[in-house]
Amino acid sequence: MARSVWKGPFVDGFLFKKAEASRASGRNEVIKIWSRRSTILPQFVGLTFGVYNGHKFLPVQVTENMVGHKFGEFSPTRTFTGHASDKKSKRG
Amino acid sequence: MADTPILLAVIGRPHGVRGLVRVQCHAADPASLEGYDALFDDRGRRWTLRWRGEGIAELRDADGRVLADRDAAQAMVNQRLSVERAALPETDDGEFYHTDLIGLEAFEGDRSWGRVKAVHDFGAGTILEIGAGLMLPFTLACVPVVDLAGGRITVSLPDELEVPGELEDSVETGVTP
Repeated sequence: MARSVWKGPFVDGFLFKKAEASRASGRNEVIKIWSRRSTILPQFVGLTFGVYNGHKFLPVQVTENMVGHKFGEFSPTRTFTGHASDKKSKRG
Repeated sequence: MADTPILLAVIGRPHGVRGLVRVQCHAADPASLEGYDALFDDRGRRWTLRWRGEGIAELRDADGRVLADRDAAQAMVNQRLSVERAALPETDDGEFYHTDLIGLEAFEGDRSWGRVKAVHDFGAGTILEIGAGLMLPFTLACVPVVDLAGGRITVSLPDELEVPGELEDSVETGVTP
């Protein structure tokens, strides 16, 4: 069952403090968080979070398209590393 | 690097009686397999591939002959199809094949962090897995230099943010984005 709209999105409060501190520093930082349940808000766009998956902190670079999703969606707890084959990536 | 075989597909069980086979494709775009002039199997034989359905393909050998029947297709089961690294198309500026990145040694100054073990993308940017579990975003800030010819990358590890004060306060709800 979906969360009621009148409640608004759920976010752990301390994430705001961390995000503000990261923005203020302006450095190349990863904000380590354990809060996989928190919703990604527009305030977090452009920041990089290290989201714990029970084993490691996976870097999550927040973009506009990720707003409304949960942090945990981008840090899978079970990973399958397929073949590299001809897959390619652009350096962000 | 130029002649490194790149695994693109694995041949599965036969399909029907006309020599078609099921193919498990590892390429980013399955349609791209038709564009290669030569796919090499484990025994070094040349093949070309044409898709005949979803996951079902027709293989032609170097002479242009298709697999004759189901028995010929059965003989191809579990053969891996690869291309030479040089056969892959050129990448755009700032774009890298994962297979090129894997194995590069990561240096920060003179300190080595190990080799790139894997390249991940879970939907939030590309991540390099280096050495014993170091996960690094593949960005200009964190990986300023990629030297494919030299077999090394230069990394700049991001700082870990520390926020003073109590962070275990109440959970906020009702925040409107």
